Amino acid sequence: MGVSVPRPGDTLARQERRFALALLAPALLVLLLTTTAPLFYLAWTSLQRIDLGMPWLSGFAGLDNYSKMGADPRFWNSLWLTFVYTGSTVVLQVVIGLSLALLVLQIPRGQGVLRVAAILPIVLAPVVVGLFWRTLVLSPEFGLVDLVTRALGLGSHNWLGDPQLALISVIAIHTWQWTPFAFLVLLATLATLPPDVYEAARLDRASAWQRFIHITLPLARPAIMMVVILRMMTALSAFAAIFAATGGGPGSATEILNLYAYRTSFTELNLGYGAALAMVLLALTLVISYFMFRLRRAR
Amino acid sequence: MKHRPAQVRPGRRRILKQAASVGVLAATMPHLLYAQGDDLAPYRSAKVNWKQVEGESISVAVIPASYFDNLGTLLPQFEALTGIKVRIEKVPPGQIRQKAILDLSSKTGTYSTHAADPMYYPLYVANKWVEPLDKYLHDATLTDKAWFNYDDIHKAWRDADSVDGKPYGIPYDGEVTVQVYRKDLYDAKGLKPAETYEELLSNAKALNDPANRVHGLALRGFSGAGQNMYIYPSIFRGFGGGWFKGKDVVVNSPEAVAALQWYVDALTNYAPPAVRNWNWPDIADAFSQGTVATYIDAHSSAAVLNNPEKSKVIGKIGFARWPKGPNGKRVTSIWNWGFPINASLTEKQKKATWLFIAWATSAETQARTSWKFSGPAKRSGLNRVSSWKSPEFAAAMGGAGVNFIPAALESLEQDTDVEWRPRVPQWPAIGETMATAIQSALVGQKKPKEALDEAQARIQQILKG
Repeated sequence: MGVSVPRPGDTLARQERRFALALLAPALLVLLLTTTAPLFYLAWTSLQRIDLGMPWLSGFAGLDNYSKMGADPRFWNSLWLTFVYTGSTVVLQVVIGLSLALLVLQIPRGQGVLRVAAILPIVLAPVVVGLFWRTLVLSPEFGLVDLVTRALGLGSHNWLGDPQLALISVIAIHTWQWTPFAFLVLLATLATLPPDVYEAARLDRASAWQRFIHITLPLARPAIMMVVILRMMTALSAFAAIFAATGGGPGSATEILNLYAYRTSFTELNLGYGAALAMVLLALTLVISYFMFRLRRAR
Repeated sequence: MKHRPAQVRPGRRRILKQAASVGVLAATMPHLLYAQGDDLAPYRSAKVNWKQVEGESISVAVIPASYFDNLGTLLPQFEALTGIKVRIEKVPPGQIRQKAILDLSSKTGTYSTHAADPMYYPLYVANKWVEPLDKYLHDATLTDKAWFNYDDIHKAWRDADSVDGKPYGIPYDGEVTVQVYRKDLYDAKGLKPAETYEELLSNAKALNDPANRVHGLALRGFSGAGQNMYIYPSIFRGFGGGWFKGKDVVVNSPEAVAALQWYVDALTNYAPPAVRNWNWPDIADAFSQGTVATYIDAHSSAAVLNNPEKSKVIGKIGFARWPKGPNGKRVTSIWNWGFPINASLTEKQKKATWLFIAWATSAETQARTSWKFSGPAKRSGLNRVSSWKSPEFAAAMGGAGVNFIPAALESLEQDTDVEWRPRVPQWPAIGETMATAIQSALVGQKKPKEALDEAQARIQQILKG
């Protein structure tokens, strides 16, 4: 940046703003190039017919890719799975995370150790988590889960090979990895709740359950909402762990929208339709997040 | 701040490059070098000027496999012969198609050639991504026809790498699917390797003993165009199925349903429960641990079975051709890794790439990567009939098991079938759709008829676009 010569009429504040903008510009430009531009390119691609398997049909397609989804059973299946996956993982994470946090708060000592232990799954790459569960935890005969179920007399199961079990398994994997996040956030929140309110409630003979419903939950509500929003966005865009564990299979039993878009684009080489699917996922995430944020502000 | 996102990529690429060069370094370790490494006379007898594009450099993508590693160790010979620098990049088999397509479709010319899936040639050709190779084969300045002897390469593989009669890739290594069985278990019960599908099942039934951890039969069950859709086509063709009705691809014919039902029943009744998630290495591992009595897969998996560090079944292995299907046909795979030429290269680079391909697929290099190779892994997927029939090859493969070469060679010569899988540009989508349908039937999510009807509906949609 050259030395900026102050122009007449410029206030100091305006000069500073310009300078700040100049400093920010390179970063903004890079962001624009690496995130926004590809997004627009994706939107443009979704309006094209680009199927590498049939290059002779390539061309502008308008909204054809989108209207095609209506009659595509695999799209509806993946949409349904996306909702099931997102809904169940988020609910499980919040419920388990909150219960664990409440439980750990009762422990007078050693909370620090638990907190460190809780971070471990979060720092693992989702691909590693997927592979780890696939080979060590869920594989029939040798996996940890199978050892336990066989010891309990529940028998050996093909955890990732059976359609229903596979869906439950990938939900369990995601929950295992991300519950600690909810746990840590909620633990921090609960630890800051004012003790005097509880004392007052106790004097009024409120039961433990009443204290939880009428004090803890309302006070922790902002934190819970934040956790729900953040986890929802991650779950909607989940990919790596499922990809590594089941690849969307067996059949299409764990093929959430993200995986379907990936398979369409990069395995079936129908780039136009794949881009349209990705746009739908993007729109879905935006809409849901928008409503969640509004819900958070309400009341 | 500005540099951060920009740096991520070159950084990663550099690491990849370093990893690749480390791989090449490891592959060229001196003690693995072919003993008479500087003996280039067999190549110089060809009437072509090997040095015509001296100084060019090309890059080749292959998968990490011993048959390509062996080729990598010979590269110094190629560089001495031609003056062309070759950089080999190893890409895992699950990614090589995508990486190649990314490179070809964006015309970046990153890979001069790559180990190509034969099913992808129609796609490559429809997009004009690769060069027709007839002009290289017929150009006397580039190919000494008598020396190269293209027709010596297995016909099935040549056909598999050609589209409308024109070659687009030259096969380097390949495999056929054969029956692999435990000779000791078979002998103990007086069984013979199956001649028909029913016998295959009755053998499996006789030997199936899950309580003692012996399963009768295993076939790849994992979902994927190269996994369950690698085994199913043989069964389908054995049941008399055909992929085309006129110009349309039809996958839900009565033969198709019967074939899938057979596949489902065979795995349900006699295979280890996890087989639906297994690819060939898992099956070969299970077999070498003695828990599987018979499997059908690539003849080259014999290398795993005869690894003394892992295998408990060395000396107890027998090989046989595919059993006959209900229509009396034995149908094996026509799988091979061939080398095409990337069409977005310069003319000089294309010539350099051709010289590399001609060198790698020549009878001499095939021998030097197999029985003449000094390392422990002798290649078994040689591309030439003459190599297969040579006594040296027989000697090198002697320990693989009973009937290894006859079973594989007879399969190669008699049981191959170019229409094994539907050869159309839309194969990647069709293969994936079929793989998904087959798996949903194998795991019991859908009945075979229902799964194939759905696949048919989807394939129709794919083909009309």
